[in-house]
Amino acid sequence: MLKCKEVAHLASEYIDNNTTAKITWQMRLHLITCANCRRFIKHLRTTKLLAVKLAKSGDVDAEAILRKIKERI
Amino acid sequence: MTTQPTPNYTDEQQLITALIAGDDRAFCEIISRFQYIMVSIARAICGETFADDVVQDSWVAIHKNIGKFEHRSSLKTWVITIVSNEAKARLRRESRKISLDELDGEIPGSYLDGANFKPDGHWQSATPLWTCESPEELLEETQLQYCINKTLNILPPAQKAAFILREIEQESFEVICEALQVSAANVRVLVHRARLTLMQMIDRYQETGSC
Repeated sequence: MLKCKEVAHLASEYIDNNTTAKITWQMRLHLITCANCRRFIKHLRTTKLLAVKLAKSGDVDAEAILRKIKERI
Repeated sequence: MTTQPTPNYTDEQQLITALIAGDDRAFCEIISRFQYIMVSIARAICGETFADDVVQDSWVAIHKNIGKFEHRSSLKTWVITIVSNEAKARLRRESRKISLDELDGEIPGSYLDGANFKPDGHWQSATPLWTCESPEELLEETQLQYCINKTLNILPPAQKAAFILREIEQESFEVICEALQVSAANVRVLVHRARLTLMQMIDRYQETGSC
């Protein structure tokens, strides 16, 4: 039986469907019995979704950068 | 420098043709698209000190060599390769070695910190409850968007670059491993740590309304 600490380490592999069949089964078994880890995995899935959708590159002053490049060519 | 509105370069071939023709608007377009990724990669390879120089050298190389772009990869992958090579070359010139530990420090108090677990491997205390668990509702929070970007900017450089390349840019492990000089297993660990740091920020956000 996996411990919560192992679940925390394997969590991203699990939500990315990158765990072996054996580990996936062990994770599911653990999650059936552990509310803390269920919440942890649920929140990690939400975090993944939010971070990808909300992260933005920030403002870039492209013209200023281009001016500097041209000074060097 | 032109003041005309920038055309919408949705078609990559159209963008490349304009770049080869020396169109400044097209070059500004790729600067806007790739500057953030390039700075992240440069910082992850050679650290903060040389990153800005490396990125500027890379842009000069891109400007000079865009005519030689051979379509063997996407424009983005080509740009990633150039900045990665510039950063590695800079590191060699400076005769410095930067260890992954230096670029990916373990953050004390993180979810993976041993102090969060009892000796038998179970959680020391209950994992935090979120008052709002709906991704749709959370996606509408402007303050959360600010907090996510703020947190991304304070991640260790290797974590940030791996996260941006894998999660946001959806680059292949092959490209990321080559660019950052780390194994696929390392990339997965870096992305996992970045996600956990972001998740802890959301824990705080849920509790306090700020990052």
